[in-house]
Amino acid sequence: MKNIIYILIATLVIVSSCKNDDEGTIKTFGNVVLDFKNTINSNGIELTTDSYTNGSNEAYIISELKYIISNVVLIKANGEEFTYPVDRSYFLINEEVLESKKVNLSDISAGQYTKIRFGFGVDQSKYPLNGMANFIPTAEESGMLWSWSAGYKFLKFEGTYTANGAASADFLIHVGSHGTTLDNYKEITLELPSTLTIEESKSPEVAINVDIAKIFDGTNTHSLEVKNSIQVDAEFAPKIAENISTMFTATNVSN
Amino acid sequence: MKLLSYIVIILIGTACSSDKDNYVPIENAKLEFTIPSNFPDPTYDIALNPPTEKGFELGKKLFYDGRLASDGVISCGFCHIQDFAFTHHTHIVSHGVGGALGTRNAQPLHNMAFMKEFTWDGAAIHLDLQPIIPITAEVEMNETFNGILKKLEEQPEYVKLFADAFEDQKINSDNMLKAISQFMIMMISANTKYDKIERNEGSVFTAEEAAGFELFKTKCASCHKGTLFTDQSYRNNGLPIDPLYNDIGRKRVTGLTEDIQKFKVPSLRNIELTFPYMHDGRLKTLDDVLNHYSDGMVDSETLDPMLKDQTGALGIPMTAEEKQQIIAFLKTLTDDDFVNDTRFSEF
Ligand code: HEC
Ligand code: HEC
Repeated sequence: MKNIIYILIATLVIVSSCKNDDEGTIKTFGNVVLDFKNTINSNGIELTTDSYTNGSNEAYIISELKYIISNVVLIKANGEEFTYPVDRSYFLINEEVLESKKVNLSDISAGQYTKIRFGFGVDQSKYPLNGMANFIPTAEESGMLWSWSAGYKFLKFEGTYTANGAASADFLIHVGSHGTTLDNYKEITLELPSTLTIEESKSPEVAINVDIAKIFDGTNTHSLEVKNSIQVDAEFAPKIAENISTMFTATNVSN
Repeated sequence: MKLLSYIVIILIGTACSSDKDNYVPIENAKLEFTIPSNFPDPTYDIALNPPTEKGFELGKKLFYDGRLASDGVISCGFCHIQDFAFTHHTHIVSHGVGGALGTRNAQPLHNMAFMKEFTWDGAAIHLDLQPIIPITAEVEMNETFNGILKKLEEQPEYVKLFADAFEDQKINSDNMLKAISQFMIMMISANTKYDKIERNEGSVFTAEEAAGFELFKTKCASCHKGTLFTDQSYRNNGLPIDPLYNDIGRKRVTGLTEDIQKFKVPSLRNIELTFPYMHDGRLKTLDDVLNHYSDGMVDSETLDPMLKDQTGALGIPMTAEEKQQIIAFLKTLTDDDFVNDTRFSEF
């Protein structure tokens, strides 16, 4: 009779949890918010009003700033990884839209995480990635598809600039992959400043500072005088992509 | 005790089911995807999107449905007409919504499962992504994915077809593109006279065709290679730039100067039907094409080295008779079964 009770209890647990893994131990899940803070000189960005100066002494005003984040993975101290389901792992960060900068991840396996890895752009080497195409409507509405090509713009960064007191001119920087010849997708791994604890019914946040000035001045220095329009540019787009891979830092974890 | 175990098993069995499992799945048979024996392996990963009866039916319906365009009229099938191996034959460059003119000649759709990249310049690196271009292009269908999905959701037949065709039963862009691909990968054209000869199925070339085939092998097959009649590379075959379009070709995709004016070597299957020719449809007949190769070529930085000899002479020398023989051979690449195959027909 005791046996029966045990079986019944076990069954009830399985029935109610519905998230039994292979070993039969019961896993719990939690959420986290990734808070992308686009900054220049540690201050938030004011689109169309504030003027910034890049390393080439060019003053610029930003009118549009959007980029794609994808393939989020949380990593534990022992190297164990939790891969966020790829079909839900595409996010458009749009400076203009507050909610877009807070990326909500749900159903993450509970535990202690010390690192986070994500992609800048869309990893086309994995085409057809399951569910990847479901990001098309979002990308399309935000102008993140090239109009003549079947690919995503990973970064859309536009505005005006002046150099050496000259009249202001437009700048436009669009970075994506160039067919199969050049992949500007970047994988970025960040050390978290303190351990992130994922637990049921908690909502921790990870603040990620995105230093937008690095688009011009990262590993490489880009002067708008040299090139103010970068679209499918085999020379400059990869340099900008390299710069982008240095612009993210995890600055705070609040559990 | 035994009874209890059964109850337990049943409970566990139903524990993790969600609502959609209550839907009784209809019979959705897998379609046979047969690789012709003289063909290479497909580049499309069939296992990731295996064509099924319902998926194919859905893909075909989408292909012929004007709802994919903003004007409700211009379907994929409007520009890709079966009688002409799915090209837009009466038009030099394609016409889209509101009569808007494109800048390129619609390509034939056949043997898509065997191609690595798509369009004249390789702007789509996967077949599932290709429809993004015509759907969103202002001069083609001028629609948005959200717009289309909304229209489809309002149609009970689509709701049912998506549910029948895909496990998650959802109307979304992933499933829509997969269905269109299922339709297109089934479009295999491999029943030409040439194929029957290559497969030893009893056909024979006429003397003229045989002579043309020999010439073709030495003069054309370096680019129009193998049984697909393309090496799938991008090359400049010496067409003068048309200032009206100033099409930079492959450079638009790669940004590389060395790719300027290069276009994908097209397959020559069904070439008799897919006139006019070249990326902008500038040549009307096969005679024009052969005359281009012998006498019409212009030099440029990116002209393919094969089309220029040591003395700097351009083109492929051919006599009038040789040209006719090559054309006779090219006509053995016409697949009547394919253009008449009702599986692919709108009605
Ligand atoms: C307005 C006319 C038009 C419409 C509508 C249209 N196409 Fe096309 N299609 C073209 C043209 C033109 C090209 C060549 C494009 C280029 O090279 O830039 C093409 C190329 C293609 C290719 C590439 C073939 C190859 O060999 O690489 C595929 C696949 C294709 N179309 C499928 C579709 C599908 C599916 C639809 C419907 C969603 C569609 N097309 C709608 C005109 C059209
Ligand atoms: C150096 C490579 C090369 C060689 C050699 C070559 N072609 Fe081409 N061919 C191409 C390319 C590239 C195109 C597409 C050019 C464009 O549209 O800009 C093409 C286009 C064509 C087309 C038009 C196809 C269409 O769908 O519009 C025909 C027909 C053709 N070639 C026949 C031939 C014949 C016949 C020969 C031999 C006499 C030949 N080609 C030799 C590269 C080559």
